[in-house]
Amino acid sequence: MKFLLKKIPRFVLVLVALMIFGLIRAPFEERVRDEMIEAKLLLPPPAQDTIENLSQSALMATLGGLRSLAALYLSLGAFEHFSNKDWDELRNSYLIITSMEPRDETHWVSVVWHLGINAAANMEIDRNLPMFERKRRFNEYVTEAVALAEKGIAQIPDSAAIRVQLAEVYREKLKDPCATAQTYKDMVGLPGAPGYAIRFYGYFLADCPGKEQEAYDHLMSLYQVEKHRKKGTLPIKIRELEEKLKIPQSERIPPDPRSRRTPSENGKTVLPGGIELR
Amino acid sequence: MSKESAEKEERIAPADRKVPLFSLGRAWIIARGTVTQLIRMKTLYFLLAFALIIVAFGNFSLGGTAAKELSTIKRACFGAMDSFAWMFAIISTALLIPRDQEDRTLYTILSKPVRRMEYLVGKLIGVLVVIGVFLALMFVVTSMILIARQSSFIGDELSAMDQNSRMSQEQRIAQIEFIQRQGFRFELGISAIASFLKAAVIASVTILLSTFASSSLFTIVISLLVFLIGHFHSLANSFYKYHSGDNIIVQMLLKLVKILIPDFQLYAFSEGIVMGGAVIYPLVWQMGLITVGYLVVFLMLSALIFVDKEF
Amino acid sequence: MSIPAVEVKNLTKVFRTGLYKDYVVAVDNLSFEVKAGEVYGLIGPNGSGKSTTMKVVLGLMAASQGEAKVFGLDSGDIRARHEIGFLPENPYFYKHLTGTETLKFYGKLCGIRGKELKDRIAELLEMVDLENAAKRRLGGYSKGMLQRIGLAQALIQRPRLVILDEPTAGVDPMGSRQIRDLILKLRDDGVTVFLCSHLLEQVQEVCDKVGIIFKGRMRREGPLEELISIEDQTAMTLEHASPELLKSISELVEKDGKARLVETGRPRTTLERLFISIATQKHKASKDE
Repeated sequence: MKFLLKKIPRFVLVLVALMIFGLIRAPFEERVRDEMIEAKLLLPPPAQDTIENLSQSALMATLGGLRSLAALYLSLGAFEHFSNKDWDELRNSYLIITSMEPRDETHWVSVVWHLGINAAANMEIDRNLPMFERKRRFNEYVTEAVALAEKGIAQIPDSAAIRVQLAEVYREKLKDPCATAQTYKDMVGLPGAPGYAIRFYGYFLADCPGKEQEAYDHLMSLYQVEKHRKKGTLPIKIRELEEKLKIPQSERIPPDPRSRRTPSENGKTVLPGGIELR
Repeated sequence: MSKESAEKEERIAPADRKVPLFSLGRAWIIARGTVTQLIRMKTLYFLLAFALIIVAFGNFSLGGTAAKELSTIKRACFGAMDSFAWMFAIISTALLIPRDQEDRTLYTILSKPVRRMEYLVGKLIGVLVVIGVFLALMFVVTSMILIARQSSFIGDELSAMDQNSRMSQEQRIAQIEFIQRQGFRFELGISAIASFLKAAVIASVTILLSTFASSSLFTIVISLLVFLIGHFHSLANSFYKYHSGDNIIVQMLLKLVKILIPDFQLYAFSEGIVMGGAVIYPLVWQMGLITVGYLVVFLMLSALIFVDKEF
Repeated sequence: MSIPAVEVKNLTKVFRTGLYKDYVVAVDNLSFEVKAGEVYGLIGPNGSGKSTTMKVVLGLMAASQGEAKVFGLDSGDIRARHEIGFLPENPYFYKHLTGTETLKFYGKLCGIRGKELKDRIAELLEMVDLENAAKRRLGGYSKGMLQRIGLAQALIQRPRLVILDEPTAGVDPMGSRQIRDLILKLRDDGVTVFLCSHLLEQVQEVCDKVGIIFKGRMRREGPLEELISIEDQTAMTLEHASPELLKSISELVEKDGKARLVETGRPRTTLERLFISIATQKHKASKDE
């Protein structure tokens, strides 16, 4: 041993020892890494195309500790873009932020909200732009919001928050009851999903052409459950469907004692949270 | 006593003083000296600056919903804690040993009955104690801010929901729970521990480098480089997997880097926890084990170099 | 015969300067011995190999060839460190520690604890005259004070051998006088002192034995008196001698035929001695006032 220590330069010994240690620890570390990725404590390695397209800022993203700060810095910048209504800049910032922290659902929720609701609403009222341009941009932002929401859902498959935001885009901007209903349906049973999702699925399905019977069956099954029956909108929507589907009187639910105040009088239905349905 | 026996006693005396192969007591004395040194180097100002940053973050109105704000505050604070830990580990470790050498303090220490391994371990323990205490204090400050903000957010949300009579109890609970998930949890402490473990590994790497190096600047630069490369492991790995048919030299090089340089990316589970991931304790223990492995190996190698180093 | 405090035999130290073949011989086949209880001075110009020799004796460096022993133990043996107290040239201890804390730190490293350590610190602070500065941080110490706290540090574990590297370098005459007095006190207490210096006059004042090293080799070595006395000359210093007396002495020398008067005149004090006497008088005067 002493002979070895004398004859071989120390840095060579150090390198050899490091290599042996590296070979011993590598399989152990790989296993721990896989388990952590499975437990969603670590990000999976980026896909090949992502690696090839990594920008400098995204490379920084792999730096532990700095990643959060860099994402935070960009988020603050994005907020600035929002204030200035720089929608394209805002979108670009969020593309980096979401590639840095793809597991943080708040980023996905924010970008869907900004593009799908704020940018779209701004396009509806921005008098500086000609009508045609506004419509084109409206479509662009809303389509991008939907695409980003889907990308986010692919990253965080059990995220209810992204779906809530996506449903809002379908409901408020795209006025697509079928897609809205499907989005609410998808979030039922997910952790953190709002309790109303199961009812909203039925309410919007009721407005989806051709899906009335399915909606009626779903809402009626909810009606059997005490806690849902107390919701004011549920009997209203059921009664609407009873009319549409011409359900025999004997099978209909009892009339609402507050029927004079039913929203059908003014032609609007009010959903929880003060959302009015036309 | 005859002259002969006095002589004999004199001959035996020094050999009689047994010096153990490693004395944790002596390492601890060096560690305590290092702690005092670091604290008197006004490093506490670091902590003060951190507290100010956290308080500032905590009181910022960042826009967005309560849950988003809480999540932002949490990520900023824990990101700052993590950065503090590894930066402090590299800089303080790189400064301490070469400085002792330049100032010749090392001569006086090593001319006492102190083994060189004890000196290295003592320095490392000293740096780690300071980082540990600072992280613990930062964690307490962060937790206090989070708890305070969380309760004020929940109060605001409740009163907003009260005004909106259409909100059902179920919806209220869902909203409050959502906010709480972004706020303080005891598991966040594990995130701080992960930052500590990472700092410990980079500190031991820096010690190894400083036994080779003759200047603090060189040690800091190379340590930072190792730290950076250590974060690109997973990237290099997937690159390697996708390009297995390509240049064999590149592959060998990547493999070599992977086995020579610690994998710091593994410690990013601290971020996973901050983001709301559930703590899996067996994995945390395994990471602790990996860290101990790194510390032991790097210290042994440092000693291998340092034992015969001539001053 | 007792074991020598320091025994250096055929010590050679070679430093590589380039990658392979360039090298410098710092110490070349050096041998000497420091007996227990004596004050040994290794003198030589800067770069002569003094510090290298000292570092080998301390175990901070390994010999390329030959050996160095401290009280019979190989200098690399950690047990030898119990016997050695070391004061490096221009020591910089931890500036953030006070005098007492510094001594406590080194004392603990030597395994001294509790009351024993406390008493030893008090004793040493008194010995090096730093009682009043004990609670001050070393950052505020003068060079002389640093040298004295360094000496106290070297003595903390009551070593039998004290190694001093340029102990008075950069210290004012008052400070170096104090250090020289301390060295003499150590000799009186039976401690072996091995010092390196290029300040020859100071070595002359305290050393029993001197070795002159140049370009890594021992050039002359022996008891101080032997080295500096001129064997065929005799000096005589008279006080209150009248011119008549001096004249008659000159005549006597001339009569002898063999002897020759080489030099007469007034002996001069050194500038250093003059400075010390003035400073001491001033110090006394200010105290009396």
